[in-house]
Amino acid sequence: MLFNSIDFAIFLPIVFILYWFVTNKNLRLQNLFIVAASYVFYGWWDWRFLSLILFSTAVDYFVGCGLGKEENQRKRKLLLLTSILVNLGFLGFFKYYNFFLDNFIAAFSFFGAEIQANSLNIILPVGISFYTFQTMSYSIDVYKRKLEPTKDFIAFSAFVSFFPQLVAGPIERATHLLPQFYKERTFDYLKAVDGMRQILWGFFKKLVIADNCAKYANLIFNNSADYSGSTLVLGAIFFTFQIYCDFSGYSDIAIGTSRLFGFNLMRNFNYPYFSRDIAEFWRRWHISLSTWFRDYLYIPLGGSQGSTWMKVRNTFIIFIVSGFWHGANWTFIVWGALNALYFLPLLLTNKNRNHLDTVAQGKMLPSIKELSMMVLTFTLTVFAWIFFRANNIEHAIAYISEILSPSLFTLPKFAEIEKALVILLVVAIFVVIEWIGREQQYAIANIGINWKPSFRYALYYAIIITIMCLGGKEQQFIYFQF
Amino acid sequence: MKKFILKIIYLSLPILVIAIVMEILLRNIPNDYLLKSQYLDKHSSEIETLILGSSHAFYGLNPVCFSSKTFNAANIAQTLNYDYEIIKKYQNNFKNLKTIVLPISYFTLYKKLETAPESWRVKNYMIYYKMHCSKSITYYSEVLCNRIYINIIRLISYYVLGDPTISCSDLGWGNTYNSKNAKDLVKSGKDAARRYTVKDIYSDMNQQIFKENVFILESILRWSKKNNIKILLFTPPGYKTYSENLNPVQMETTINTTREICLKYDNCIYINLQSDTNFVASDYYDGDHLSEIGAKKLSVFINKIINEWKKAHTHSSILKH
Repeated sequence: MLFNSIDFAIFLPIVFILYWFVTNKNLRLQNLFIVAASYVFYGWWDWRFLSLILFSTAVDYFVGCGLGKEENQRKRKLLLLTSILVNLGFLGFFKYYNFFLDNFIAAFSFFGAEIQANSLNIILPVGISFYTFQTMSYSIDVYKRKLEPTKDFIAFSAFVSFFPQLVAGPIERATHLLPQFYKERTFDYLKAVDGMRQILWGFFKKLVIADNCAKYANLIFNNSADYSGSTLVLGAIFFTFQIYCDFSGYSDIAIGTSRLFGFNLMRNFNYPYFSRDIAEFWRRWHISLSTWFRDYLYIPLGGSQGSTWMKVRNTFIIFIVSGFWHGANWTFIVWGALNALYFLPLLLTNKNRNHLDTVAQGKMLPSIKELSMMVLTFTLTVFAWIFFRANNIEHAIAYISEILSPSLFTLPKFAEIEKALVILLVVAIFVVIEWIGREQQYAIANIGINWKPSFRYALYYAIIITIMCLGGKEQQFIYFQF
Repeated sequence: MKKFILKIIYLSLPILVIAIVMEILLRNIPNDYLLKSQYLDKHSSEIETLILGSSHAFYGLNPVCFSSKTFNAANIAQTLNYDYEIIKKYQNNFKNLKTIVLPISYFTLYKKLETAPESWRVKNYMIYYKMHCSKSITYYSEVLCNRIYINIIRLISYYVLGDPTISCSDLGWGNTYNSKNAKDLVKSGKDAARRYTVKDIYSDMNQQIFKENVFILESILRWSKKNNIKILLFTPPGYKTYSENLNPVQMETTINTTREICLKYDNCIYINLQSDTNFVASDYYDGDHLSEIGAKKLSVFINKIINEWKKAHTHSSILKH
């Protein structure tokens, strides 16, 4: 079920009412209801893949129980390995099987050996990269004795399948989310109102910015051979805002929806396009995934400790794996490697933690230096997104080559450019709102809080009307495919 | 909790009321789909020749030019699955149906309305034909299928300005493509060819759509054979700027597949008029649609074929024109 569908608009109030008025007397019943609702939410897309979630849940639950009882270190390792193999096995088969097969065939044929193997017509289950990472983090934390294994299968199932974040995160840690299923939830009016506001802002980002930018990004990327360098730059900028608003919009809706049910999810985006360097960007972009890789891959590898060679190796591993997580395509790997290249100079000169605060904190405008740093970081990010969005490496190289040609200095030209300029204007207004609200959890968190109710309602209606007037067509979220 | 729910209700009530009022007003605007479904509800038992298909048939075949009782149930962007849905909906009423005329255009086997840019038209079948074949709730509502400003423009256009909203005759022929207002055939032909050309016909999605359409076409043929109804498949004429800019692989696959299917059914004939030289520039409204002059020419020709076929009583699976 898509958040931006009428189905969800009917589903959410029904679940909300039943959750707070029917199942609220009994915690286990309430958790069971969350599991049922989450399975309906997921099954709406394809019920057959519910078996994968159920299997992954059962494996990690029993692995957790085993790890709780077992003292023998070898057996504990074996249990952890079972969890990792099952989860990565699912991912490997559904997401990467054809990629590895095609590349093996290509590699062998390069050396003159012909191999006969057929690709499989595999459907990628929505959200598999998210929930497998979430369940794996549970097993790893229990293995490291950071977390007591749960004995409550229903609570654990609810943690794995919790519908607001099931298909596109934030990828929650068991240490943060699981305990929330053990506690009785009480309705908090202010939290619920804040949740609704965040949902509204999430829809604005998704429907107004992302879906409209998608139209032009798709047009330009799909026909890139026909356009000038300047138009291609515009296409990359449209994609830059599309992916940010699509994904952070989803996260806002997920976090807001969770608040309606009394849950707190971790923050996933923190105004990444206002970053002053790439290290700051990665502390602000897809935070739940970045920190997952940091905690479960980068630090176990040695992190930024050790020799320079180790630092370089670990940086490349984490960025390339992060790129590969997004999909079975060389474009994602290059995107990851490119970010590693951006990041390395900062790491090697110990400047990667220079900007831990918010840019121009407490000020209206940034300094010239801060502005130039933001523009440079943004430019590097836009450049990297070209690889992320391109169909393949050749496409990305052709795209960049055209940008670097003299046609860069011509005026952009494509069908419906006038409408595209209107959307760019809306994007500019959006950037201003984000700038004003950059110290808040989400941009409009504090806007209108102290206004008279009538003015506040007028603001909400203005956003709703903008969504209704400018909202693009019901489109899937980009991260559903990852 | 009570306060929260009440505030949500207060906030959403005006929007809901406006949406409901708009939905009612939009549904009351006369349209081609409503007109056609009402005609079929009343007269389907009298129809002898039924025209189905997309805009190529909607604008290209005028029932008045047919010697049998004919109705044009084609519509803009109507895909094979909706042709079949119309047949299924009225199958028990088609007591006198002898012939179905169905265009197989360049895009027919590669198009699915639900995934096309005109997907908003799906609601017309759910609302006005009262079909229930879509799982998406969105397609059962006028308001949800279009952006709000489009709906507002439609309301103003009909209720304030009194603009006409019906674009077809009583017998379903699209009569607004007049030769006097014909478009630039060079530009419109090229544009249409580009618009209908599938980017990668071998992609999984397009192959899936192709398979589904072949299956539906065969289902229509099987149903017709079972009910002793003849089917005339034809590839409509297109101006040279249209025909010359089509992807030959997509075109040949469409034609060859249709021929092969047609050969399997003795109640079917297929005619390819794609580059028919009888149709000249003055017959076209734009690169791929006939004007009223061209429509008359095509309708008379198709009617002649049907009559000859009836007289011959013999099967000739492919007529090459």
